[in-house]
Amino acid sequence: MRTSTKIQLTLLDNLVWVLLAIFFVFNVIVTPSFFTPKNMVNILFQSSLLGMLVLAQGIVLMVGELDLSLDATLAFAPCTTILLANAMGGMNPWLCLLLTLALGALIGLFSGTIVSKLKANSFLLTMSMQIIMRGMVLFLVPFSLTGLDEVYSFLGRGRIGSIPFAVFVFIIVFLVFEWIFRKTIFGRKFKLTGGNRQASFIAGINTDRVVIRAFVLAGILAAVAGLIAAGRQNSISNTTGNNLVTFSIAGAILGGCSFSGGVGKPIGMLGGALFLGMVDNSLTLLNVDVNLVAATKGALIFLAIILDRVRVRYSAQLMYKENLRKLEQNKDGTGAADAFVKR
Amino acid sequence: MAENVTRHAPGETVLEMRGITKLYAGTVALHDVNFSVERGEVHGLIGKNGAGKSTLVSILSGIIQPSSGEIIVNGNSFSSFTPIIAKRNKISIITQEPQTIAEGTVMENLFMPIYNDHKKMIDWNALRQKAHEILTKAGLPIEPDYYVRDLSISAQQLMLVVKTCYVEDADIIIMDEVSASLTQADSVLLYRIIEDRVKAGKTVIFISHHTKELLNVCDRVTVLRDGKAVGTHKVSELDLQKIAALIVGKTAESAEFSGHRNVKIDRTKEPLFELRDFTRHGKFADIFLKVYEGEIVGIAGLRGAGRTEIFKSIVGADRFDVGQILYRGQSKRYKTPEAAIKDGIVYMAEEREREGLIPIASIKSNMSISVLDRISSGGIISTGKENTMVDELMKHLDVKAFSREQEINQLSGGNKQKVMVGKVIAQKPVVCLLDEPTRGVDIDAKESILHSIDEGMREGSCVILSSPGIDDLMKICDRIVILYGGRIIDEFKRGEYDEEAIYRATQGEVIHKEEAEG
Repeated sequence: MRTSTKIQLTLLDNLVWVLLAIFFVFNVIVTPSFFTPKNMVNILFQSSLLGMLVLAQGIVLMVGELDLSLDATLAFAPCTTILLANAMGGMNPWLCLLLTLALGALIGLFSGTIVSKLKANSFLLTMSMQIIMRGMVLFLVPFSLTGLDEVYSFLGRGRIGSIPFAVFVFIIVFLVFEWIFRKTIFGRKFKLTGGNRQASFIAGINTDRVVIRAFVLAGILAAVAGLIAAGRQNSISNTTGNNLVTFSIAGAILGGCSFSGGVGKPIGMLGGALFLGMVDNSLTLLNVDVNLVAATKGALIFLAIILDRVRVRYSAQLMYKENLRKLEQNKDGTGAADAFVKR
Repeated sequence: MAENVTRHAPGETVLEMRGITKLYAGTVALHDVNFSVERGEVHGLIGKNGAGKSTLVSILSGIIQPSSGEIIVNGNSFSSFTPIIAKRNKISIITQEPQTIAEGTVMENLFMPIYNDHKKMIDWNALRQKAHEILTKAGLPIEPDYYVRDLSISAQQLMLVVKTCYVEDADIIIMDEVSASLTQADSVLLYRIIEDRVKAGKTVIFISHHTKELLNVCDRVTVLRDGKAVGTHKVSELDLQKIAALIVGKTAESAEFSGHRNVKIDRTKEPLFELRDFTRHGKFADIFLKVYEGEIVGIAGLRGAGRTEIFKSIVGADRFDVGQILYRGQSKRYKTPEAAIKDGIVYMAEEREREGLIPIASIKSNMSISVLDRISSGGIISTGKENTMVDELMKHLDVKAFSREQEINQLSGGNKQKVMVGKVIAQKPVVCLLDEPTRGVDIDAKESILHSIDEGMREGSCVILSSPGIDDLMKICDRIVILYGGRIIDEFKRGEYDEEAIYRATQGEVIHKEEAEG
């Protein structure tokens, strides 16, 4: 394979980062007060919340399932914990924090178990979970819960120097997951299970367990996102995180995941999350009408997804050209037929 | 069909393909192929897997478009077809896997999409009547109102043959390995239909891996090798050996695997693996089988005799109802394949794409999937160890690919199968349950796979092997048990192998009088 082809294929494989770079340069030139250190940190901070959800959704997509309840978990886990703490007349904030994460995990465990053991359709199941949890939040928190403990809200509010604590968590979580999926048996099994569950099962992987783990991880990450959201507003309301789940899917697909499962890497999902964050940021800075922001965001995601299809076609085209070149080298064709594999 | 010589009347050329080339990303499927067919003949296309037979007929039926070349039908020239243009020119294909609408009835499948000659309203009664006539004429024992999902694969395939031949009334009928999914009885029906069509002046293009069948059915054969047409021959001038030689491209003998090594097996010891009264209701019953260290036992049986089901129940991919599995004398019951693999009992699935491999993952991840804990420490995979292991296996099995990172999707059938074998070898199994390891691979790959089994899986272990080809079993097995209707009805020991007798046994005939018990 020629080096230029290899470079092109690599760029296509990481298309989301190429898009991100192009969009970044565009903004540097066009958008006022975009390229300032403060705004850069701001983008990272804004992306951190959605980033957690994108990663969560990406992990579930990797095993070939879908979780529509993530944004509901985001609100449900912290609100239930805080209410519980209030009802008990105060709780150690650290315990409260852990309890929030545990609740997220428990919700994931529940969904994952039903999806894997009862073979329920994850779309329908998590959709019902979302409606239940949203409804419960509406019931439990008619108004906002305010006055959170400083420890509890540190993830969303706290700063190290001038940089928000959430930014560090955001980057570190993605790097850790990238490492997990690249290097560990635990991580490898997600993609294998998503690629072909029956084959993985016969090859000796406990695929039910892997699916459950994916939902549990997703639940924990959604709870982390909940902590960030709570801290940022210093309150929890029944609209916290509303409708974020569609963007989590968009980000994960942009980042290289697929609805059929078996593909995706956290670094790609990070790109997807940052892209969405940057879109938000630049639309605000460009003073786009607030009521038009959603539609514009949608249009940009639409464009990116069309580009993703172009990417797939273009990769095939590249391989085709590479093949023609090989064919010319062996005029009679036998060499090429041998050197290349049959489809 | 002994009368195949008499019916061959050298007629005009109805179809010609000139200079057909097909390139894919990553592969040359066809290279400058010329091919012509005469009216009223049965023309065989032969060649190894991946020689380009299916690609050629897919171009002819409009399923895929050629990169260059010309197709001439009845004097009209085309640069490419779509399925609609092909049908307009009365060219129809029946593919390897039956393409049916499972939730539709037989008559709906037969008459879709034209129904009553494209009338807006469907007259089901007329269709039912017509379907009934056609099915009776062809001798198919199915009713127009049956749901296709309830039919066997064989009946579905035959239904499509009937559709092509009598409903579409195609002039050029392409049969792409149709007989592979037919039962013995249905094959006879197929031959009768072909006979009838040829008499009516239709033309059949026939693809098959059974050389005997080719000799019986075809008038002429065209040989494809590595995507090129290397000659057309009259069948009357060929015999089994010559056909095999044409397919392989070298003399048939030299391609043969040297064969059984006459390994001494100590049957006085305790068997390594044993099944006692192994039963799953409706699938298989009363299976008694003892397998000793170093032994390779073959299971011969028709499709549906219960081979796959037995394997799956052993490793816990399916349940079983009655009986015992004894491993080194200890009674075992595996709930999942994971548990069986821990004991060294490894199942290699028959359905490569569905149960055997992960198509979108790399060769590397597929080969290491079951041995991840051996190439890692503390849960962290050692890239070096993994790469070394995969490279060695790829070299040992001669897997042809760009690199170990290549997706399984992009490999040929034979290479995919080699990856499966590599996956099994990597596990260093004690009991190998190999379900049709040579399924759908060409002769070269088959020999190398059989060789790896014979060489690599005897030491301290044993193999139970099933294969669609009795000759494969005869080459490497120490014993062959015959499975019929879910029961072991007979057993052949090495030395008393007779392909014809074994074949008859798989059809349910009792060859040995005494009760056969492993």
